[in-house]
Amino acid sequence: MSSHDQSRRSFLQQSAGLVGASWVKVVLPGMAAISQAACSAKEEQASYTILDAAEAGEFESIMARIIPATDTPGAREAGVIHFLDQSFGTFNAPTLPMLRAGLEELQSGITDGRMFSELSDAEQDALLEENQDTGFFSLLRIMTFAGFFGMTEYGGNKDGMGWSVLGMDPHVHAYSSPFGFYDAEYLKENPNG
Amino acid sequence: MADTPVFNTRDEVDFVVIGSGAAGGIIAKELSTAGFSTVVLEQGKYRKTPEFTHDEIKYFLNGEFFGAGPRETGMTFRDDENKEAQMGQRDPAVYARTVGGSSVVFSAHFWRMRPVDFNERSVVGAIDGTNFVDWPITYDELEPYYSKVEWDMGVSGAPGFSDPPRSKPFPMPPLPINSSGALMVKGAKALGLHPDVQAHAILSQVHNGRAPCLSCGFCAFFGCEVGAKSSSLAAMIPVAEASGNCEIRPESTVFQIVKNPDGRVTEVLYYDKDGNEQGQRAKAVVLSANGAESPRLLLDSDNLANSSGYVGRNLMFNAHAGSNGVFEHELNEYKGVQATRVVMDFYNSDQKRGFYGGGGIDARGGLMITPLMYSLFGAPPSEKNWGAEYKEMIAHSFSRQMGMMVSATSLPMDRNNITLHPTNTDKWGRPSIRVTYKDHPDDIKNAQFLQDKGQEILDAAGAVRTWSQPAGPSTGGVHLLGTCRMGDDPETSVIDKNHRSHDVPNLFICDGSSLVTSTRGQPTMTIMALAFRAADQIKSAASAGNI
Repeated sequence: MSSHDQSRRSFLQQSAGLVGASWVKVVLPGMAAISQAACSAKEEQASYTILDAAEAGEFESIMARIIPATDTPGAREAGVIHFLDQSFGTFNAPTLPMLRAGLEELQSGITDGRMFSELSDAEQDALLEENQDTGFFSLLRIMTFAGFFGMTEYGGNKDGMGWSVLGMDPHVHAYSSPFGFYDAEYLKENPNG
Repeated sequence: MADTPVFNTRDEVDFVVIGSGAAGGIIAKELSTAGFSTVVLEQGKYRKTPEFTHDEIKYFLNGEFFGAGPRETGMTFRDDENKEAQMGQRDPAVYARTVGGSSVVFSAHFWRMRPVDFNERSVVGAIDGTNFVDWPITYDELEPYYSKVEWDMGVSGAPGFSDPPRSKPFPMPPLPINSSGALMVKGAKALGLHPDVQAHAILSQVHNGRAPCLSCGFCAFFGCEVGAKSSSLAAMIPVAEASGNCEIRPESTVFQIVKNPDGRVTEVLYYDKDGNEQGQRAKAVVLSANGAESPRLLLDSDNLANSSGYVGRNLMFNAHAGSNGVFEHELNEYKGVQATRVVMDFYNSDQKRGFYGGGGIDARGGLMITPLMYSLFGAPPSEKNWGAEYKEMIAHSFSRQMGMMVSATSLPMDRNNITLHPTNTDKWGRPSIRVTYKDHPDDIKNAQFLQDKGQEILDAAGAVRTWSQPAGPSTGGVHLLGTCRMGDDPETSVIDKNHRSHDVPNLFICDGSSLVTSTRGQPTMTIMALAFRAADQIKSAASAGNI
């Protein structure tokens, strides 16, 4: 086994282990084990810094199935591909070869010559379901959510779209009581708290 | 305000304090404001309040506070001393490396211990296979310092059903109730229980010149961007620095405490941020590096202060468990502090339950209530964790979910300990921390009992859907307790009741390692009260020429 394979394998184990972790595992820097560099804030860019346009299109198509547009925006609309691209230039750089290899492997599962991005939504979902236990998919899933919900300075979560999907106002960072339905009800009966 | 001094490492200062967390920050403030020259050596960076943001990628994924894990620390875990300890993906002993320590990132639930915690061994009797003993101090001896924590650090709260006696009222009213708290009140009262206001080391009003909480929701695992959380960083370090007698020296990783032939410590050796060896001479040393780092440093300093063999033993993590529920209407637990109500009805151990243990159940959004962590780890279980259905599910439940979090006892045992790994080293070349831990069966039974009670409260409050994992064995912890315990007998404890090493007269140890028993699972207030008390004892001894 080459050293590349070994590091890839250990990474696969690591990223797989991130999924379904209990709270104390989350405190631990799973991703930090593959990263050192600090992330620099950048304006969102239409072009890519690391990826070429074709592979960016393929990654984006996968991410758009992980968080699809419904009646609210999905990963594509939130510019998550720019987060991914930016991350490859910074903290996520060590995973680029593995994710590129994973993309190739996924593509190799399509026998009629089409690219992943050319498949129908249903075909894309079926292929991803076949691959959802791989380290490739686990990591890309984490990166998709990170790009959807991470701070906008990392390149994704355009205009705070991710937070809006959860019902948060992306422009508000401080709140006052009452916060929700049940405390409002409680305070009606107990005005002194 | 006096200038912050910079001491020459070759000059002897009065005190070196190792660690700037819950205990170290308080002791540094108390000693320096009393006129003693004090150098604080902190392995983490000096991050200040205005730097803190809501950046989940920085703080969670990239390990800004907690470091890069075993790759850097070499930390290992095993559940039996006959097994070889393994490096996992994460450190089994978790703590923040930053000025202020883990008090910067805690969720700030402040529980006093009750009088029974101090003599519980006498009350409930011996427990086989454990080192369960009474404390050498009483609640009454510590009570003034609990009040001092409330007033000097800043604690918001209100007296409750199960409160122990107090000499002073809370300095400020509680933080506003949130929906999880309101639901706990409803569910607990329906079951005949007594929900109390949760006290927080978070300011509800301007206090000691500090700003109050903005209810931003980013408490647990984040630093407070307005300094409303009463960390050592916000409440103590600025006062220490303003004294003109205290230098905070960040990015200073201590690797040895040097003892002279007379049996006294004289110097603390550390690596500066560039990896160069440095030394700071001092008349006395206060070790407050936390319940994993303190024993590691003693063991690696030629078994310093360990004639008892108790250094590193009796590690207690506190057992934790919890259940979760989704409700019909919005709770919006991303707003406000974590947990505003708590049930303490099961605080005391009760032999009728068939096991030792007690604890509290608090109502909170959950540990993962920030958007990214929620989407990855906090959401209700589902067969598929991506795609349109998952997205719609988290979009619905994010604002409607809460948890009942159990914080509970751990019994002190020899088999649970911190030792040095025989071969692994950390990035500095120090022998790595090896954690050996297996909960006492009663710890798990008790946690499960409390989890079931929390589940009943959720049901009684009208949860639409609930779920939980069985209470299981600990494989790591953020509460690092008991590893240099205090006691009157030098053969079965590391420090005396005034935190002085039984073996080394000018070495004091105060942090989570000092605890004799585990508390009911929220230990920081007790660590802070012990620190204020230890500082008083140290100041008296120093002034009397008795160090």
